[in-house]
Formats: sequence, structure tokens, C-alpha cells
Amino acid sequence: MIRRVLPVPRRLDLIVLGCAISLSVLGILFVSSTTKGGRFEGLATRQAIWVLVGLGAMVAAILFDYRVLLKFSFVIYCVSLVPLVYLLFFGERIANVKSWIRIGTFQFQPAELTKVATALLLAYLFENEDDARMKGATIAKVGAIVAIPFLLVFLQPDAGLAATFLPLLAMALFFGGLPGKAWIALFIAVALLAGIGWFVLADYQKARIGTFLNPESDVLGSGYQVRQSKIAVGSGGFTGKGFRSGTQSQLRFLPVQHTDFILAVIAEEWGFLGVCLVLALFAGLVLRAMSLARVARDRGGVFLILAVSSMLFFSVVVNASMMIGLLPTTGIPLPLVSYGGSSVATSFLGIGLILAVEYRRFANA
Amino acid sequence: MLKVRENRRELSGRIEIARLAVGAVFAILAFSYWYVQIARGDYYFELSENNRIRSVKLTAPRGYVLDRTGSVLVENEPAYSLQLYRREAKDLRASVAFAVQLLKLPADQVEARLARGRRYPEFVPISIAENLSLEEVAAVEARAPEHPEFAISVSQRRLYKRGISAAHVLGYLAEATPDQIRASSNAYRLGDWIGQKGIESTYEKLLGGTNGERRVIVDSHAREIKEESRLESRPGQNLFLTIDRELQALAEESFADKVGSAVALDPRTGEILALVSSPSYDPNWFTRRVTSEEWSSLLSDPNHPLQNRAIQNMYSPGSVFKVFLAYGALALGEVDPTAKVFCPGYATFYGRTFRCHRKGGHGWVDLRNAIKLSCDVYFYNLGRRLGVDRIAEIAHAFGFGEPTGLDLAHEKAGLVPSEEWARTKRGARWYPSETISVAIGQGPVLVTPLQVARAVAGLIEGGRLPTPHLFLASQDPKTGVRLRYESAPHATLALDPRKLDIVKEGMWAVINEPGGTAFGSRIPGLEAGGKTGTVQVAGRDAVLRSGVDRSLIEDHAWFTAFAPVNDPKIVVVVFVEHGGHGGAAAAPIARRLLAKYFGMTLAPRPGEPGFVRAASRPASPPNPGVSP
Repeated sequence: MIRRVLPVPRRLDLIVLGCAISLSVLGILFVSSTTKGGRFEGLATRQAIWVLVGLGAMVAAILFDYRVLLKFSFVIYCVSLVPLVYLLFFGERIANVKSWIRIGTFQFQPAELTKVATALLLAYLFENEDDARMKGATIAKVGAIVAIPFLLVFLQPDAGLAATFLPLLAMALFFGGLPGKAWIALFIAVALLAGIGWFVLADYQKARIGTFLNPESDVLGSGYQVRQSKIAVGSGGFTGKGFRSGTQSQLRFLPVQHTDFILAVIAEEWGFLGVCLVLALFAGLVLRAMSLARVARDRGGVFLILAVSSMLFFSVVVNASMMIGLLPTTGIPLPLVSYGGSSVATSFLGIGLILAVEYRRFANA
Repeated sequence: MLKVRENRRELSGRIEIARLAVGAVFAILAFSYWYVQIARGDYYFELSENNRIRSVKLTAPRGYVLDRTGSVLVENEPAYSLQLYRREAKDLRASVAFAVQLLKLPADQVEARLARGRRYPEFVPISIAENLSLEEVAAVEARAPEHPEFAISVSQRRLYKRGISAAHVLGYLAEATPDQIRASSNAYRLGDWIGQKGIESTYEKLLGGTNGERRVIVDSHAREIKEESRLESRPGQNLFLTIDRELQALAEESFADKVGSAVALDPRTGEILALVSSPSYDPNWFTRRVTSEEWSSLLSDPNHPLQNRAIQNMYSPGSVFKVFLAYGALALGEVDPTAKVFCPGYATFYGRTFRCHRKGGHGWVDLRNAIKLSCDVYFYNLGRRLGVDRIAEIAHAFGFGEPTGLDLAHEKAGLVPSEEWARTKRGARWYPSETISVAIGQGPVLVTPLQVARAVAGLIEGGRLPTPHLFLASQDPKTGVRLRYESAPHATLALDPRKLDIVKEGMWAVINEPGGTAFGSRIPGLEAGGKTGTVQVAGRDAVLRSGVDRSLIEDHAWFTAFAPVNDPKIVVVVFVEHGGHGGAAAAPIARRLLAKYFGMTLAPRPGEPGFVRAASRPASPPNPGVSP
């Protein structure tokens, strides 16, 4: 052991931090734009409060030694599963799914925290597994760690939220070094599961996939959302119709515009430039985080950053694709931007973990 | 501990590959957006301009309100408002000038409306003026080619056909307040008109119906192009009230410039035939949006026209209270109706002298005559024997001290004092001398005119207390299906009919025997009973000394009557604030109402022109059932 004699440099990465804060400010701005004068008035203030809560969680995550979190990650993971099991049996249905815990007027999705816990446990797993090619036992562990929360959420039944656990699996398999043959086997398995899944999916989920394949089939039903959001995005043009002047969003043609469809509002009111700004901020955030992963002090840190960024990346891509009909509507919000307390707060918690790894890059445990 | 054996080369390589992939995906996304927004931007812009599906609320027509005979009290009429579509306006200042000149509106009001509307997107029309006359509508339409930015919108407005008549019963509509919207868990929206007072409020659900919805395609000016789908609204139910419009009108007319209230009800069912509170207000003010001057004149009026005096004002019952005491004492076996008490014009209890209203005294009086003459000394003695707690028990049995359950909100409970009340609520112990005052309806006992009407009904029905109500029936305007009000009277203190007859006879004598306190109000040919009451206004002497308007310290006048004595069909209570003696101020109004109800023409009173000593035969009372 080397005794620490000199002050150890602490490093706060301003690129990741700046991108995250800019995105959340954009979020508050557009939540206020879409909710002005309607029955959702006042949500922007709430969103701002949640951003502050998230920033608090982020600072706590940075200051707390993430290595301690990794050490206890199994316990954290198990504890985070408890509310999911509870919801399955006693949950209150909100918008057809039992994924919310309600305290007073605030609602919270515990699955958001489970995502962070799962990321921690995977990072801890790879802390000690550094074979060039993954062992079978490791593959099985990875599978189980992701499958348990995935299934619990899938049964709520919230397929969209459940899907956000999948990037963790892909991340672990790819960076953990899954052998080439195993990749082929995996593809076949996924294809089979998709076939079986069709019989298991709820009707509304099938309807969404159906309208995704043929959006014009049901103009007033579930095709309505896709169609209206495409019109909103498309009519924005290059510079947009101006802040708070989007006809699609202000006339409330867009469904859940302040939550899942907020990017369509940005696209309509700020145009292609607005979209590029959002995409650039996310790209900057994710790419910067990955380069921080490369130089992280330990393997646990590497995987922790990769896990968190993979989830962020996945949500952004799925949400942005949803707006223009590239993917079916799944109810995945745009991280940091969409209205939603638990989503914003846990996204910041994740950002905090990324920053925490960088913060202690040269630290001695 | 740092791991030294870790080989990170391979992992770093994978991360680099992944970064390239991530960058590529973002590029693809950006390209896709470029395709939708730039390449196909015009196409979608066109769609957003022309193809919009909106949901438009179809407001359900509100149900009518009718009286028991089916004559309409409240209906709906079309109301026209002037809407400004800013996008169509070439020059907003010219538009404002046009509206100002055409409708003779103050320019700053139009400017203020415009300023308020700026908060909303341009395609949302701004309402410039409401309640346009038909001439104004015609004038706007005539100038439509020059001013396409203006449009007339038609909506339904509530019309209270009889103005101030029965205003306190009917209530009024006004825009839902934020609190009401919250209380309805957002079933109501801002700008919805809902019942605020009276039966408009009590039966809001019934009258309001269910709103429908239209889905329409609108253009970029939010103007309708085509209707997509339509869900019809369900109109509100028509509501028949127990009110008899003619009786109500006569009662109101009798009050003219007097302040007070009157209640007429059917003692068997509790159906309210008339309910008057004077002065009144015109509910139509509210549907036409009250101006602030009107509001402040309503609120600052010392007579509080918005207050429903029949259920919200509490007064001492005065001598009217004596009949309940008499009944209660008989039912409890506390009085021998034939036993006589000597009234020398005063009596002394607990070292204090209590006067009878008649200075010279009534001499020897029994129970019947004590009621007829309203002898205070008799009831002082009776009250002392009963004590305040048993008086309270009797009062409660007649429904005093609690709301009657009428289907109007904000009804007062009144006050029935007892020893416990004095100890716990008042915080000063009960003095026995107070019991003596309470025995003649003075002191801390407080009642509403409606409570008195209900109690009298309970008394003459031998202890069956009805629940007063205004709802007679409702009718679905589409199916014609009717719903009727059902309620059973609440059984209370029962009394042997022979003993009850003594009380009723005393009340009959009040009107029909010389010496009765309302002898002047008898109706030849109608066997009616009644009881007067006169209440001294508190602080009378102080006011007299200060020399203000004498009319403000004049006594309050009570009168209650029922008829016919043997088979009562109606109970009337009249209360005139500062009216003077009950027999002189209130009884004549009750007399007119009884005569009207039984279809009798009253001979002109002595001293009135055309007075002759004759009276028409009593006609059989009209059947009060509904036959619209």
C-alpha cells in the first residue's frame, strides 16, 4: 500500500456535465411551452424541481465512492427488485400499467432505480471477470441479472420500460467479449423469441406494432399518434415555427406531448436546427462518456460508464425514432428532456455515476 | 488495490468500435430528421396547415325549470358573441375601431380583451363582446365582406323568465371557480357555466346533462372544414318544482317594499308551494356577466338581497313558539289544559318582574285562551314548570336547532338553548330567569322561517314532521320518463288527537274569535288557524336614544297560519322585518295567500273602497297535483 502524501487531483468532466444540464434546461423550456394554459399548467415548475432533485442525486453520486457502491451492488440490486414485486401484486393501474408508485401527488417508477442498480451489479461482475472471451458461467450470470428485472417490468405489463433493460444485456455481451459463435446463436434465439412474443404481447402492444408497419391504417386510433407527431416534426422545417407557436403542439393534436413526444414539439417549434442541437448534445454526452470509460481507473468503472451510457443511448435512439415512425410507439421518454420525475432524477443519478468514475480516476482507494 | 494483470487493450478496442457505431447511429438519426423536416417538410407543413382533427365540445342543453303546474320558470335562449380571428385581420387597429364603432363599446375594453387574448396562439379566436342584440348581429354580418376577421358565435344562455321572482329558490349560473373545478376532479373546465345557488346548484347534475363531442377537421385558422365523428350530448332533465307560480307571485307582490320572508308548504308532504325572500335580485344579471357596479350594489345593499331570508336568517320566534310549548307540555303530561292561571298583567319570578304584553292582564286563562290571547303570564308559568332542558327537548322534536333538510344549500340550523349549551358553548351558566324569556320565544332561541313552517306542519299533523322540498319531479326531455320525489314524514312527539284539538282550537280562535290576536285576518268561510308573534329588536332602547330612523327598531312581525283546521292542506309562515305587530303586519299577507290558495276572492277590508258586508262561498281547494 502506498500512503497518500500529495493531494490527489479530482477531475470533474465539464463536457458530460454541460451536455446533461443543457438538455434538462431545454426540457423545462419545452415542457412549459406545451403545457401553457392547459390542464397541465404548472408542470414545468415541477419538472424544474425534479431536475434539482436529480442534480442533488448526481452530486451525491460523485462525492460518494462508487467502489463502495460496487461492493454492495448485489444488496442494492436485490433491494431495488422489492418494489417491482410489490407492484406486480398490489400496484395501482395508471394508464393501463402497474409501474407507478404514488405518494401524494407525485408518482414514481421504481423500475428507473432498478436500472441503475442493475448497471452497478453488472459493473461489479466484470470488475473480476477479465477473460478475453466470456466464460459460459459469466454469460449465464449476465443473462440472469438482466432477465429478472426485465421480466418483472414486462409483466406490469410495460414492454417499453422493460425494453430499456435490453441495452444492458447488449453492452455486457459486447464489451465482455462474447465469442463469435455465441453471437450467431443469440440472433437465432432472438428471432425465435420474437415469433413467440407475438402471441404473448398484449393487444394494445400488437396494435402499436401493426400501426408502425402501416401508419395510415387507423388515423384516429393508435396510428393517430405517429401520424400527428410526423406532421409536427415535418412541418417544423429548417428553423421551426417559433417557440410556443407550433400549431400541432399548441392545438394539442400531439398526444402526451410534454412527456414522450417532447422531441416532436422541439422539432416543430425549433425545426431541424433544434433537433440537431438535441442530438448533438446527446452524442456529445455519450461519446465523451465512452472515452472516459477507456481511461477509467478500474474495470468496474469502465463497465459502470458503459452500462449507464448504453441505456441513455438506447432511450434517445428509440425515442427519436418513434417521433418519425422509424420504430413503434413504446412509451420510452427522452432522457433528461421529457417531463417525468423519476426519469429525470435517475438519469441525473446515472450521469453522476459516470462523473464519479472520472472524478476518482487518479485516486487511491 | 489496482489490478496490475488487467489487459485493457482488447476492451479499449471494442470501446472504439462502439464509439464509431454510436456516432453513425446519431448521424443516421440526423439524416432521417433531415429527410422528414427538409426534404419532405413542405408536404408535412401542408398537412399541418390543412388537416387537423380537433375535438369540439357539444354543450348539453340545460334542463328547464317549471313550477308544479308546468309553467316555465327557467329556460334557455340563444346568446350571440363577437369573435375576432386575428390571423384574418389585415390591420388590428382597424378591427378594434370597427368593433368600437359598431357596438358602441368603450375602446379600452376591446383593447383589454385583445391584450388578454394575446396569451393564446394566433389561431385561437378572441371573444370581443357577448350578448349582442339581433340588430348588432345583423350589422356585423352585413359588414362581413370588409371584416372577415369577425365572426358571430352562438351559444345557449340561461333565461330566468320571471326576473326577480323566486330568485332565491332558482339560484343562478356562473362560471365555475377554480375551487369548484378542483372539487369536481376536473370534470368541469374553466369557462363552464354551472349552478351556483338555489336549485340550479342542488340539481346541477340533473339539469346539466352530459356533454357530447365532435371531432372535426379544421384549417390553419382553426375553422371547421369537415366533421369526422359526432357523439351527441344528452340534454339535462326538466325539473318540476313544488312551487305554485301564482301563489309565489302573490306572496312577492304582497311583500313589495317590505323586508322579510314567507313560506307556504303542504303539511302532509313538505312540498314548498311558495318561498319568498324580500328584497330579491334578478338572476339574469349573472348570466349576462354582472358588471362590477351591479356586483357592488348587490353586496353593499344593507338588506342583502342575495341572502335567502327564509332559510339563512335566524330570528327569535316570539309568541309563535308558544304553540309548540303548549303541544309539548300536553304530550309530556305536564299541563292540565282546563286549569286556569290568573294573569294580572305581570308575574314575578326569581325576584324579577316579567310583563304580559297586555298591561291590564288577561284575568283567568286556560290553555286554549292563552294561545288565543297569546298570554305571556300563562306561558311564563308553563316554562318555569318545564325548565329549559325540557323546552329544548320539545323544540328539537319540532326540528328546531337543525337544518330542515330542504334541497337548497347553506341552510341555517338555528339555536335551541339548554343548560349544557350555556355551559359548553356560551361559557356562562344558564340562569333560571332566562327560561322565563324562552317560554315566550325570546332570549337566545333562534329559528328560521322555514323551520317554523315545518314545525307548524308537524304540530297540526299530530307529530309527523315532513321534510320540506322543492323537487317535485324530473322529466327526461327525450324519453319523457319522470322521476318523483319520495319522502316519508319523520315521526316525532306524538299527541292524543283530542289534546291536539285543544291547541288547534286555540289557534283557530286567534283568527276567528273576537279578542284573538289576529282576529282582523279571518277569512269568512274558511276555517283557518294561526298564531302571531312579535319580536322586539335587540338594543331597541339604545337605538331610540341615539335618535336614528325609527323604522329600524320597529318590532319584527311573525304570523303562521294553516287551513282548513280539520284537514290542513297548507301552512303559511310570514315574517316581516321591522313590520310591527304580527297580527297587523304579517297576518294580512298570510290571509291573502290562504284566500288565493283556496280560490276565494277576498272582500275589500273595512275602509277600503267597495267594502260591503258579504263574502263569497268557499270554493273547494284546487288539486295541488301536477298536471302539466
